[in-house]
Amino acid sequence: MNELRSDQFTFHERLNATFLAELFEGDTIYAETVFEDFLRDLPTYWERVQTSYQHKNLPLLGTNIHTCKTLFGYVGFTDLQELCQEFENKCAIYTAEELQTDFATLVRKKQEAQHIIENEYKRLKRYNEGA
Amino acid sequence: MKTTCIIVEDIQIAADFLKKFCEKSGLVEVKGHFLNVPDALVFLDEHKPDLIFLDVEMPGANGFQLLDSLTYSPKIILTTSKTEYAFDAFQYNVNDYLKKPFTYKRFLESIHKVQGLPAPGTGPTPATPPPSDIDFLFIRADDKLVRLKKEDILFMESMRDYVKFVTPGKTYVTYSTLKSMEEKLGGPSFIKVHRSYIININKIDDIRGNTIYVQGNAIPVGKGHKEELAARLNLQ
Repeated sequence: MNELRSDQFTFHERLNATFLAELFEGDTIYAETVFEDFLRDLPTYWERVQTSYQHKNLPLLGTNIHTCKTLFGYVGFTDLQELCQEFENKCAIYTAEELQTDFATLVRKKQEAQHIIENEYKRLKRYNEGA
Repeated sequence: MKTTCIIVEDIQIAADFLKKFCEKSGLVEVKGHFLNVPDALVFLDEHKPDLIFLDVEMPGANGFQLLDSLTYSPKIILTTSKTEYAFDAFQYNVNDYLKKPFTYKRFLESIHKVQGLPAPGTGPTPATPPPSDIDFLFIRADDKLVRLKKEDILFMESMRDYVKFVTPGKTYVTYSTLKSMEEKLGGPSFIKVHRSYIININKIDDIRGNTIYVQGNAIPVGKGHKEELAARLNLQ
């Protein structure tokens, strides 16, 4: 793990900074790698989410959301993790029609999250280049 | 000598974290990473690592199916982001259960547990009596450490990453897991009756069907817990 700098990196307010501090232990280089990996992997996983939703395959939709939930956790989106968990649970109970509103909310939150992580990744990169 | 392990995990970021933690610890050597159960089983046919870090939900076969197919008894640490599997995990006698994403500190605790070492930061032989001999416990709630007498606890309820303690006068919520509290409490008074509930059996008012009533609180009894509960209450 790299040394902590005096000007410590502060994560976006939407992210769980306390958890990220414990997870990365000040290693902003590794945080940059993880954020980069997140941005690389999320589109693939999210495409699976969209496909299973379109095919109304709810067990598979639940599994795919489960994967995305884990990914969100690694970049500190703990609130989004909870939303995914709720949606995952609902996949076992409700129909695709009944999940329309929840799914739309999830899509919107995912887009917001992705945007935030894109910016955080750029900030981390700049921060590490200045190290 | 290092513990040898494999990682069975379909999410690359999660596997990368594990590899990094293993390397950092100097205690565990990763012999392979597999994205699915069948590939892992092929490897396990020829190699016998000491430890398997096992995800539960993966495409195709899940982690429990791998456990059903094992031909020897390695140590198992389940890694999942779903707390609902905790009960199944205990039925399979897994050595530990890590909820993803987890920190290096939590990883190290788990490795020490598997290797039979004292928990990180503790001495080799604790001078204090075992937890079951202590009649109280401290929980962090309301920004302070609160001393709770075990006999005052009516029941505990799991709330994802938190545990709610219900006493006659007050309810406390602390950042912990039911599993951890179960270990801390010990003793004959407490029993897990549902994946989300541990009750103090001395506080039961009555039982109706699959529901236990404790001072006006209705607590469900899980199917898998009925037998043990009946035995503990001498109802068999």
